[in-house]
Amino acid sequence: MTNIAAMESPRSRYTMRHVVRAELTKLTSLRSTIWMLLVTVAGSVVVTILSTNSVTHHDPAWYQGFDPTNQAMGGLVLAVLTVGILGALAATGEYGSGTIRASLAATPRRRLFLAGKAVVVGGIVLVVGEVLTFVCFGVGQAILGSGGAPTASLGQPGVLQALLLSGAFLALLALMGLGLGMLMRHTAGAISAYVAVTFLIPVLLNRLPSNPARFTPVPILANSIAAVVRNPGQVSIGLGMLLMLLYCGTALALAAFSIVGRDA
Amino acid sequence: MIVARALTKHYRKTVAVHDLSFEVPPGVVTGFLGPNGSGKSTTMRMIMGLDSPTSGSALVNGRTYAELGWPLREVGALLDAKAFHPGRSAFDHLRYLARANDIPLRRVDEVLEAVGLTSVARQRAGKYSLGMGQRLGIASALLGDPGVLIFDEPVNGLDPEGIRWVRGLLQGLAAEGRTVFVSSHLITEMSMTAQRLVVIGRGKLIAETTVDEFTAQSAGKVVRVVTPNASSFVSALREIGAKVTVDQDGAVVVDGLSSADVGRFAAHRSFTLFELTPIRASLEDAFMELTRDAVEFRADGRPIALAASSGPYREEKS
Ligand SMILES: Nc1ncnc2c1ncn2[C@@H]1O[C@H](COP(=O)(O)OP(=O)(O)OP(=O)(O)O)[C@@H](O)[C@H]1O
Ligand SMILES: [Mg+2]
Repeated sequence: MTNIAAMESPRSRYTMRHVVRAELTKLTSLRSTIWMLLVTVAGSVVVTILSTNSVTHHDPAWYQGFDPTNQAMGGLVLAVLTVGILGALAATGEYGSGTIRASLAATPRRRLFLAGKAVVVGGIVLVVGEVLTFVCFGVGQAILGSGGAPTASLGQPGVLQALLLSGAFLALLALMGLGLGMLMRHTAGAISAYVAVTFLIPVLLNRLPSNPARFTPVPILANSIAAVVRNPGQVSIGLGMLLMLLYCGTALALAAFSIVGRDA
Repeated sequence: MIVARALTKHYRKTVAVHDLSFEVPPGVVTGFLGPNGSGKSTTMRMIMGLDSPTSGSALVNGRTYAELGWPLREVGALLDAKAFHPGRSAFDHLRYLARANDIPLRRVDEVLEAVGLTSVARQRAGKYSLGMGQRLGIASALLGDPGVLIFDEPVNGLDPEGIRWVRGLLQGLAAEGRTVFVSSHLITEMSMTAQRLVVIGRGKLIAETTVDEFTAQSAGKVVRVVTPNASSFVSALREIGAKVTVDQDGAVVVDGLSSADVGRFAAHRSFTLFELTPIRASLEDAFMELTRDAVEFRADGRPIALAASSGPYREEKS
């Protein structure tokens, strides 16, 4: 048997690096993660194909104020759902299966554990999200171009920024899902809460005067972050990102607050 | 070394553990014995830092669990509920734990081999039987080659061969100088595995003792004798002050004398004996006696919840 005690240097201890490596192994060793990511990419591209294809072959006048970038980001609606579920599952999967006890036995400093999880979930979704926005953009522009619609290019002002921020926005949504999952511990509850925040509340707020729905995540992404042509009445890109950071930060802060001292 | 000091845990209205203090020294297997619901699992979760005590503390090697630098290299645990994801293979489960504590990955193969899971290590753990899941839990506990091991009902779900294997494993680990703390509600199981005992009931300490002491103290000496001259043998024994009863089948049951004493006495008085049987210490009776007031569930005022008297491994007792 390997003598591990002999390898140990005195006073050393596990760090963020170890938690991150463990979380990466943990997340990538589950088929559900791989499936969620595949569904995210494939599904979003399909929705983008449909949404761009539906606006081809119109009169030039029809394209007044048309935003080809925004049109190509239509597929992200699906990604909003799947990355949130992915984030929530990263937490509830542990509690539901009892893995949390093994994880906390290995890394009992719980806030460090949560932080490591957030780095991995956020990092994976950031990479996939960026790839996704660029793929959606490319596919969307090809379809628009071949259908006689105006197209956008990466060199145009605001386009690159819209793509990069949209990918990052997905990572923040996944972290919000993670925070809700850590708080609620149950898959059904966490996903319900996530869907309520992203899809249900905007629909309800839509009817109110001055449209407070525009301050919620999905409208921020759809109308501000993933848009190049600015619409009046929508929040600015800066405010939109700030609000999303606030939502995501609140969910994670509540999770960090509750994870300590609560029985696992 | 594990030290519990005035450990107390309340769950809303339930007092699961109350003012529990004990020590688990290295080098021997210490059994943690108590009826169902007496707080064994709760105590172990508190030692592992998973549940926080309402008051009191539990220290491992002088530190709280959260203070350990490389927890899995100091403490290995198998807790009562399964602690792995059904969608992850044993290999990946151990691999992530190894990464978390900078344990060389070859240890994963070593412990898989040690528990006999090598051939199914790449299968999803959800497909494992109860016994295989238990083996994965044991592999996780051994992964970091820790000096302190905590096992909550490790033989649960294991076949007789598996049970024997676990017993040997625990004793081997203790013989290597490690601290081994193992819970059970089966006194017979403990008597074959442990040298020391921490006995609890209703979350309170009942006894901190050794198995030998426990057996000697509470079991007494009972000898069963079959003789053709039962009635005169009984009167002869009563004359010397022995406590004697006669069984329904006519056997004479002597309480308080060893079989050697009874045999010598019979030879001295020239009684013919057909049978002379030392009735092995009924540990279950002793255990029930000891925890009678502390049994969680009762019907008709009698303790019924002691799996000790109806456990699936009764045939294993010697
Ligand atoms: N998470 C919890 N919430 C509420 N009550 C709990 C919780 N965990 C344990 N209890 C209660 O605490 C008491 C002790 O339970 P525990 O599981 O520690 O007993 P145990 O000795 O391990 O029993 P067993 O032999 O059945 O495994 C029981 O009354 C149980 O119902
Ligand atoms: Mg238990």
